[in-house]
Amino acid sequence: MSDHFSGPRALAEPAADITDVYAFPSPERPGHLVLVMNVLPLAAATSLFSDALSYRFRVRPVTAVTAGPAFEAGADEYAFTFTFTAPVQGNGSGTVAQYGTCTAPGGQQLSFLVGDESAQAPGLRVFAGPRLDPFFIDFARHIATQAQEKLMFRPAEGVNALEGQNVLSIVVEVDTATVLGPGRGPLLGAVAETVTRGEPSARMERMGRPEIKNFTLQPQKFDTVNRDLEIRDLYNAEDTFSLNPAYVGAYRARLNANLAFFDRLDGKIDWPLDEAGNHPLTELWLADFLVVDMSKPFSDDGYLEIETALLAGRQHTTCGGRSLNHDMVDTYYTLMVGGLGGARISDGVDQVTRPATRTFPYLVSPNPNPPELDLMAQIAAASAPPQETAA
Amino acid sequence: MTRLPSADREPVTTNGTIAVANLHAQIAGLAARGRHAGPGPAAAPLAVATRAHLIDLLLLRGDVLSRIADYERAGELAGELVRDAPDDSRAWLARARTRATFHRFAEAMADLETAGQNGLDRATVDAERAPILQAVGCYWHALVLCEDAAKRRPGFTTLGALAVLQSERGEVTQAEPLFDQARRCYQDISPFPLASLDYRRGLMWLGQGDLPAARSWFAAAQRRVPAYAPALGRLAEVDAALGNRQDAISRLRLLASSSDDPQYAAILARVLGAAGHRREAIQWHDRAAARHAELVQRHPKAFTHHAADFRPGTAEPPGRLAPAS
Repeated sequence: MSDHFSGPRALAEPAADITDVYAFPSPERPGHLVLVMNVLPLAAATSLFSDALSYRFRVRPVTAVTAGPAFEAGADEYAFTFTFTAPVQGNGSGTVAQYGTCTAPGGQQLSFLVGDESAQAPGLRVFAGPRLDPFFIDFARHIATQAQEKLMFRPAEGVNALEGQNVLSIVVEVDTATVLGPGRGPLLGAVAETVTRGEPSARMERMGRPEIKNFTLQPQKFDTVNRDLEIRDLYNAEDTFSLNPAYVGAYRARLNANLAFFDRLDGKIDWPLDEAGNHPLTELWLADFLVVDMSKPFSDDGYLEIETALLAGRQHTTCGGRSLNHDMVDTYYTLMVGGLGGARISDGVDQVTRPATRTFPYLVSPNPNPPELDLMAQIAAASAPPQETAA
Repeated sequence: MTRLPSADREPVTTNGTIAVANLHAQIAGLAARGRHAGPGPAAAPLAVATRAHLIDLLLLRGDVLSRIADYERAGELAGELVRDAPDDSRAWLARARTRATFHRFAEAMADLETAGQNGLDRATVDAERAPILQAVGCYWHALVLCEDAAKRRPGFTTLGALAVLQSERGEVTQAEPLFDQARRCYQDISPFPLASLDYRRGLMWLGQGDLPAARSWFAAAQRRVPAYAPALGRLAEVDAALGNRQDAISRLRLLASSSDDPQYAAILARVLGAAGHRREAIQWHDRAAARHAELVQRHPKAFTHHAADFRPGTAEPPGRLAPAS
């Protein structure tokens, strides 16, 4: 699942577990960048943010480079840091409330009540609170695909593993001209992090693109270099914009191995490795941030379009980034398995029952009674041989 | 002399109320995920990890809220896990932990041995064996394991384990700096491990008869996790011993009502009896005795040796740990 449960540490500290990150031009307000970070998978509708963490968006200007090909991040950085208080007595009997603070670049601060959709300051709107998890995937059939090493999706029978589940969402909408200032190119790279507030501070999680960790870093069996290494915690602790050279080789080996696995799934090779064994997507994946073009209008079809344009040697046509309703699983599989221009591969789940809206804060209200997540049964049903299914 | 927690050096952890609420949600979510874990070839690896994690969380909630029902559920799940994944070391490790919780130490050791045979690394096996050896009084053997671990991998877990062991041996002079070192190493945001460590430090001072010092560490644990039942119970005991019976009774009434561990009802009965509330004391005592009898039937090794605490018909049963007067 996107970035849910993305390593032992995320499992141990769910409050720090980033499930998804989105970045897109505001469909309501041209010139405004929207950043969304979701945390705490399987949250209750009453869950609260940790007061021991800083939840941080980091944005940098980026430029495309043909070597790799990949994107290079500039040195200037714009950070939006959210912190939260311990719970306090709410207005109703037996209710609790929580307050948050957003610190914008330049030190501007905006305080707000968790759950309030109206918090704003010049050039800035923020929201934080429980929301319906917008991610969707037939996770069982993805697991079956990995286990059986062939595509196991059934387009007409997809089951969204996260249907009706909640997360804690943080949304910030920024007027890029006034908050980030002039003199930048249109391309921005965005990531989210959870960082401890104590001293010394430690990065618990970071996320740029979805499924980098769970799809392409978690599987170990194809990695001939570090087959016994759970690499995701190491990767999570990295500075996205400055990977530790001591470990990049390990990430590269894991990505090369798993990207090649995906490429083999349709029985043909669309991504031949170079003489050093490097997959053509590896450097792009290592530049693990969402790339959004603020000179283009909002589009639901932007995810990976800037990256694929770079790979194809053409100009991109959309805003890129990642919007809330985009079917990234299909996009991801289609690119990794079929290559540029490959036929669409669908996991059979095209949207959530209650899609995101076009108005702030974009994510829909949480489900007060999340269903039981019958994930294991889904996986077993998708994976079991016929005789076991019958039994 | 003990050094009390100072605010400027306190590790920053998630508010305890938030952490308990999120723990409940996490267990509910994972319980639903694990409920129908199937034996399919692809499901098995993920199912074992998920189910083992759920067992650990149930044990944690059992520790924090003194919920024997959580320990029992963890034990059931661990038994099923070993049945479903007999070649997976994580299953045996999970069952060893649940068995140790119910004082089935020999069986827990056997499970750890099997976990090792199924690939569990020696350091983890030794880390699990040490507290069992400690519990059965093999302090010297436990000390060898804990000192070795602390030397090889100095950190919160290993230093904390060594501190607790030294405290149980009554070696206060050696334990105190280890408690401090362990606290300084803490870098996570969960409040539970720190609350547990502070609680154990309080127990050490209680054992030394230093009630103010014990109280300060129990209070530190309770500040970090307000619902931390063992700390609340000990705070009440200490308060009662220091003459603050009304506060003790208030705390214990809440605990005895919310926890399914009869020790709190038994302590409440004793404090009420000492305060002259004989009728209510008898009610709580009888309730504790009945619950204890149930638990002895189900978990004889864990509860039989506490039978004297629950003698029927006495309004002032002795607590597990008599407070200094």
